[in-house]
Amino acid sequence: MPPAITAEQLSKTFRVKVRGPGLRGAIEALLRPRYRDVHAVREVTFRIDPGEIVAFLGPNGAGKTTTLKMLAGLLYPTSGRVEVAGFVPWSGGPEFKRRIALVLGNRQQLVWDLPPEETFQLNRAIYEIAPAAYRERLAELVTLLELGDVLDKPVRQLSLGERMKCELAAALLHHPPILFLDEPTLGLDVTAQEAIRRFLAEYRDRHGATVLLTSHYMQDVTALATRVLIINRGRLLYDGALDALVARIARTKRLELVLGGGDGVTAETLAAFGAVKSFRFPNAVLEVPRQEAAATSARLLAALPIADLSIEDPPIEEVIRQAFTHGVEEDDS
Amino acid sequence: MSRLAEWARRYGALIRNAWLVDLQYRASIVLWIIWGVTEPTIALGIWWAIAGDGQVGGYARADFARYFFALMLVNQLTIAWDSWYLDRWIREGDLNYRLARPLHPAHEAVADNIAYKARSAGVILVVWLVAALVWPAVRLPLAPGRWALTALAVVLAAAMRFFISFATGLLAFWTTRATAIMGLHGGVALFLSGRIAPLALLPPAVAGVAAVLWFPYMLAFPVNLLTGSVHGTAALLHGFAGQIVWLALWVGAYRLAWTRGLRRYGAVGG
Repeated sequence: MPPAITAEQLSKTFRVKVRGPGLRGAIEALLRPRYRDVHAVREVTFRIDPGEIVAFLGPNGAGKTTTLKMLAGLLYPTSGRVEVAGFVPWSGGPEFKRRIALVLGNRQQLVWDLPPEETFQLNRAIYEIAPAAYRERLAELVTLLELGDVLDKPVRQLSLGERMKCELAAALLHHPPILFLDEPTLGLDVTAQEAIRRFLAEYRDRHGATVLLTSHYMQDVTALATRVLIINRGRLLYDGALDALVARIARTKRLELVLGGGDGVTAETLAAFGAVKSFRFPNAVLEVPRQEAAATSARLLAALPIADLSIEDPPIEEVIRQAFTHGVEEDDS
Repeated sequence: MSRLAEWARRYGALIRNAWLVDLQYRASIVLWIIWGVTEPTIALGIWWAIAGDGQVGGYARADFARYFFALMLVNQLTIAWDSWYLDRWIREGDLNYRLARPLHPAHEAVADNIAYKARSAGVILVVWLVAALVWPAVRLPLAPGRWALTALAVVLAAAMRFFISFATGLLAFWTTRATAIMGLHGGVALFLSGRIAPLALLPPAVAGVAAVLWFPYMLAFPVNLLTGSVHGTAALLHGFAGQIVWLALWVGAYRLAWTRGLRRYGAVGG
């Protein structure tokens, strides 16, 4: 099967006006405009197979949204090649647009003053969805997203979570095989985030859709994505499974202890075995070099009254932060 | 046939949504319609006072009355607000999802135009009919041929004003001043399109400038057609030719601005 999304050596350079501060800067910019090249995306190459859910990770300004917009055909690449669903996005026209959905977490297509169902009806006409198919799909989306009691309320009266669910429903009525989701859980509370995640997983399972999503919430990534693309300063740093990334770059393991016996054990005692991340009797967390985790555990069990011990990877947020700051080269130290 | 039906359904849905949104903003719609009636009424009041019992440039009081009632209607049928919408879509990023849909954003704008023109012109027509019941001066003779020609001229004028507004709004791809440019255009049009006075009353130098530009074809020509002051086949053909030529030029300007603007948007982002 050909890949759903192909990006080869994809680059995007913006030319931005440089402006000094204050009135003087404004006048100078007017008389003698100076420009600077911003390399938003640099030679990014990846392939996504049909049915994959891939998370795009990176700090703000890393190039995630720019890449997403190139894949959706809103921006054209400075160089490189893109193919999505067999189309070159920029010149794909209506046939290409019928095959994708683009959901921008900070922008909405729902008509603000009308109930969401009016936007659904509009999209039914725009995407030329047959009445029977529309009814069936709407019913499915209403069930999966639990939209029953919000369909007839004006969008402006909906909560952020309800609005995002409706946004997704509006974007998926035409059953696009490819979904681009930019921060779909932005600003949502935990329950709403979970609902969106459950929905996306279920939708993919039912319809085999390919999903590329960006998010700052690691739960989105761990719950949904089998694969992550990590991008920083426009460069692709990592492309692969999340646990492989952890194994590759996490220098440490965390030993989570529950101490038994009396309270004779102090932070100082524990410090002899590794870095004490937290200690409140009887719970303690130690961080030790990855390769020493097993040996240190054995020493701990021998030396201290331990009721329970588990070896964990560091929190995924920490691993990702490390990837952003130090890259993803394997740590040989 | 089924393609046509699909397009009819799309336009139907777009117009329906525009009306539903209108219903949410009833007060502001009423205010806009009041303004649409007030401006020509004030102009009429001034010329009414100036004309007195005589004539100004061939216009007696009754002629002014008919002129400004016709203007009220034609203006509502041809006015276009698209540059304001486009400016917002482009600056605030609402163009993004519109570009990701399999429907050119201009269709949404056209449907919106149809929706608010039908709504405001309907109200103006009622105002005119009520006025005509009590005021013989503003009655028009039953002349189906003239009305048909006026309808054609109104469609051409509406199309031209739409493309002027859309193309100017697209300047938002390059500048934050697109609506200011449109405002300036509106200011010039106030005089050169016949909104403040019939063009026959303009000083010859100003009328000369207006004659070589698109402004008279936006309003004055269809208004004069409706009031019966376009005399002879030559004047008629000249008017329609002017409308068609300027419409073609503005369609060209729109196409240029759209393709260049989109390329720029694609280059610098939204």
